[in-house]
Amino acid sequence: MLEAGYLEGEQGPLFHLLHPPRERSARGAILYAHPFAEELNKSRRMVALQARRFAELGYAVLVPDQFGCGDSAGDFGDARWELWLADLSRQAAWLQERYQARVTLWGLRTGCLLLSELSRRQTLDIERMLWWQPVIDGEQYLVQFLRLRMAATMMGGNKETTRELRERLAGGEALEVAGYLLHPRMAAALAGARLAPPAHTGAAVHWLEVSADANPDISPAARRLIESWAAEGRIVEARAVSGEPFWGTQEISEIAELIERSASVVGVGSP
Amino acid sequence: MSNFDHLKAILDSTLNLGGRGLAFTRETPLLGDLPELDSMAVVMVLTGIEERFGIVIEDDEVSAETFETVGSLTDFIDAKLRDA
Repeated sequence: MLEAGYLEGEQGPLFHLLHPPRERSARGAILYAHPFAEELNKSRRMVALQARRFAELGYAVLVPDQFGCGDSAGDFGDARWELWLADLSRQAAWLQERYQARVTLWGLRTGCLLLSELSRRQTLDIERMLWWQPVIDGEQYLVQFLRLRMAATMMGGNKETTRELRERLAGGEALEVAGYLLHPRMAAALAGARLAPPAHTGAAVHWLEVSADANPDISPAARRLIESWAAEGRIVEARAVSGEPFWGTQEISEIAELIERSASVVGVGSP
Repeated sequence: MSNFDHLKAILDSTLNLGGRGLAFTRETPLLGDLPELDSMAVVMVLTGIEERFGIVIEDDEVSAETFETVGSLTDFIDAKLRDA
């Protein structure tokens, strides 16, 4: 049975869904890190489907809303990157304690950036990383996010460029972007975030991308990064599946192949 | 496929038009006429164009006029590719 509840966070109670393993003893635990702002809402359905699939395979899956997001305490404008990291760390420890199992860190978009940073700071017993369409460069992501305000102001006939918006953030101003209040410190931390492999080489990294092409391939930017890591001896398993970018599309879309591919990453069939 | 055809495919897929976008003509009005084209969709169309054509679009290059019709957006892409 799906459990819903609140876990104590650094600055208030945080809502979560817990998909318990089908059997009484878990074969592993999975912590999910959600993407930024509206992408969190758009991706809820795919994440719920995937979490259910993982639970069927014997995993305990924790899907929390971080501070200022969803049903958790706080406003988005009061959320900080560091706070999300601290809360994710607590959630990983809670999962490990409750299920006495190694943890798989599963993220989507900027959630992967958070998990990447978390794994390099904390001494967690990480079994593997599962990244869905990871954001590689936080600064590039910030510019894309600010474009939402650029587009809205452009349509209103009084366009503000992302450069102007970044200058205002740098000056300490919080900005509303597509209904979300972006604090200058959140923007600065996001702009400084870069995807990196986990510090412990024992944790495998699985990288899955979604492509609109019928013959999907991972993006050139992802390939370049993965090749540079391989040169340092960090091997990443990367694959692309066909589908719509469900974290951003207007209609809620599903990609069955992504769910099955992810299930095989954590081990379909093995005991 | 021409740039015009690529653009129609991008519009159809990012705006979830279910094939309706493939029948667009150069004269089909976009901004202000197509309810699916909100600010989030404008950003997704821009990102889709950048990825499909391998170009970088700066904020000061686009305006509401760029998004007036399918034709005006096609002309913008043609000009970007000429300059690239």
